[in-house]
Amino acid sequence: MRFFRLLLLSAWACSFAVRAAVPDHQVFPAQGPQLLLWVASERGRAEPEVHAAQQLAAQGVETWSLDLVAAYFLPQLPSSMDAVSPQDLADWLRVAQASGKRVVVYAVARAAVPVLRAAAALEPAERERLCVMLMYPNLYTVAEPLAEPDFLVLGSLSGLRVRVLQPRRSAATPWLPGLLDHLAKQGAATSHVILENLREGYWARETPTEFEIAESRRMDAMLLRELNAWGCK
Amino acid sequence: MKRLLATCVMSLLLTSGAQAAGFEARAATPAPELKAQDLAGAQKTLADYRGKVVLLNFWASWCPPCLREMPSMERLRVKMGGRPLAIVALDSAETPEEVNAYLSRMKLGFPILLDPDGSNTKRWKVFALPTTFLLDAEGRVRYVLTGPTEWDEGEALEVIKSLLAELPARSK
Repeated sequence: MRFFRLLLLSAWACSFAVRAAVPDHQVFPAQGPQLLLWVASERGRAEPEVHAAQQLAAQGVETWSLDLVAAYFLPQLPSSMDAVSPQDLADWLRVAQASGKRVVVYAVARAAVPVLRAAAALEPAERERLCVMLMYPNLYTVAEPLAEPDFLVLGSLSGLRVRVLQPRRSAATPWLPGLLDHLAKQGAATSHVILENLREGYWARETPTEFEIAESRRMDAMLLRELNAWGCK
Repeated sequence: MKRLLATCVMSLLLTSGAQAAGFEARAATPAPELKAQDLAGAQKTLADYRGKVVLLNFWASWCPPCLREMPSMERLRVKMGGRPLAIVALDSAETPEEVNAYLSRMKLGFPILLDPDGSNTKRWKVFALPTTFLLDAEGRVRYVLTGPTEWDEGEALEVIKSLLAELPARSK
């Protein structure tokens, strides 16, 4: 009997340890069948992103918003994203999938690195049930003038569906085909869309254009449009 | 007194070190091909600037740091008038209409080249804007700068002058 109690206590402790590894995030609940996991960039979560998450929830898409720099007390640098534990994020993805909803991850800029590493850490069957949208992903190891770009090896992405959202007004736009090739070589099924007249991080620019201000206010509509156009339902 | 002197010397060294961090010296490597049209539709290559020091700036009209440094490039052009220096600004992956919209607000006296399909941007392996290459008169890449600067003063001016100083006396 005492052994049985000890076993139960251990199981409870283990489950707590697993839950403790899941990063702290904001939940915007909704009743619909979709769950969007929104991972903010290395610059942290911006107010228009919170607003868009609220709007998505109001339209039935439950949204969990994760700010990695806040959750892990990291400096607002691209290299901070590389330091995030893929296992923590993989646990988070599993918790999301356990909800029974269709899970789509949306990661911005360098946050694509821990998200893809986490996807690679999943079991193949778990990965096949996952869709990932990446907003201007930064997967470079080296990007020096006059030198060939070098991308991070992230692990097997076989079965993973990845859609890249690339603002046209970005130095990365001419390099998009190489990035898509790199993801495909690691097994991902890729697609992309160019977001016209927008710059990277248009929702948090110091000097946004009128169009960028307007698009910041309708990010929820843009994401819903992409989710529907992509067919990852 | 000695301590004060040492502090001053150290401060000077640190200051000059911080300035030198911007420009990356390269080992006189041959430049990639440049093949672009100007706003009048004329085809341009590096051969058009042979015998001159070339400041080749990759920029875009949507890039605030690019636009911040443009006036200093124009001042550099005026300051170095008559010297064998070619300032060339290559717009990365935009339409002529987008470039002209900016040029209607900012009068520049140096040539603007177009790279609407980004092919030059890719050949020169430009991953951030602005990125600027300084070429010697033989068309070799000597310095690279990623990010903006004030081109008509400080280290930028010194680097350009040092490349001009390599030219034979008659062409300076």
